[in-house]
Amino acid sequence: MADFRDEEFMRLIADSAAPAESGPAPSHLKAKIYSALMRRQAQSGPLMSLSEIKACGEELCVFEELARIAPLGERAKSLNICRACHARVLAEHIEHAPIYWNGCPYVQLKKS
Amino acid sequence: MMSAGEADDARLVAAILRRDRKATAEFVARYADAVYAYVRSRLAPQYDLADDLVQEVLLAAWENLRQYRGTSALQAWVMGIARHKVEDHYRARLRAPEPIGDADNDPDTPVSIPKFDELLDQERLRKNTWRVLRGLPEPYRLALIWRYWEKASAREMGAKTGKTEKAIERLLARARAEFRERWDHG
Repeated sequence: MADFRDEEFMRLIADSAAPAESGPAPSHLKAKIYSALMRRQAQSGPLMSLSEIKACGEELCVFEELARIAPLGERAKSLNICRACHARVLAEHIEHAPIYWNGCPYVQLKKS
Repeated sequence: MMSAGEADDARLVAAILRRDRKATAEFVARYADAVYAYVRSRLAPQYDLADDLVQEVLLAAWENLRQYRGTSALQAWVMGIARHKVEDHYRARLRAPEPIGDADNDPDTPVSIPKFDELLDQERLRKNTWRVLRGLPEPYRLALIWRYWEKASAREMGAKTGKTEKAIERLLARARAEFRERWDHG
């Protein structure tokens, strides 16, 4: 049996797309998601080392660069050093956190 | 031959699978906004649940990147996961016993409908639809959104919620009646 009411609602509601009121995702949410993914990845083994990342032509932040040139083994350079960085804490808790270092993933997420 | 977009998607996926932290940041930067907008539009007005669901979508996509075959754009693939997660949310909510409504309302009883064609202002129509939807009890709102925005059939909704098709049709009928009531008497 044709359901006229069903069709009427289909037309009415389909024509009424949800209002575009959300805008971009908050930067602190992106920061939290990134931190969660990195925690997950670091738990399952070493990350690509900072030396390798640099060799791939990617930019490191000032702290990552310091860790890269420090006299440490590659294993230490494969740790998730963002975990100990204040930029991460600020980015996760403050919208548009005052962090500006080039190459910092949290700065990239703030700008995205 | 790969397009530039396909090649870029493949590069990003390969880098994440090599455990490149910068690639993961790029992944979040690229897709968080689209997933966030989609999830919020489908959960409105319960925005408090949106952040957790966005995180769940991106985590599921990121963890399953090995299964991405490149047959569609990476964004479309991620949004497909978002649709499934939203559907899971509807399913979980609609599985719960309904605390509201009159089960005796017969969906086959003819109901007068608002004369929508008489409303000339499309924007007013959209806003009013949205206002009414937002005010509906959650099971009604989710059922209408799932059925009419996501275009799920009553049979599909029934199969996914463990209810009969008839039960879903009754739920939809009550939701439409409640919608009409609120539309008429705003």
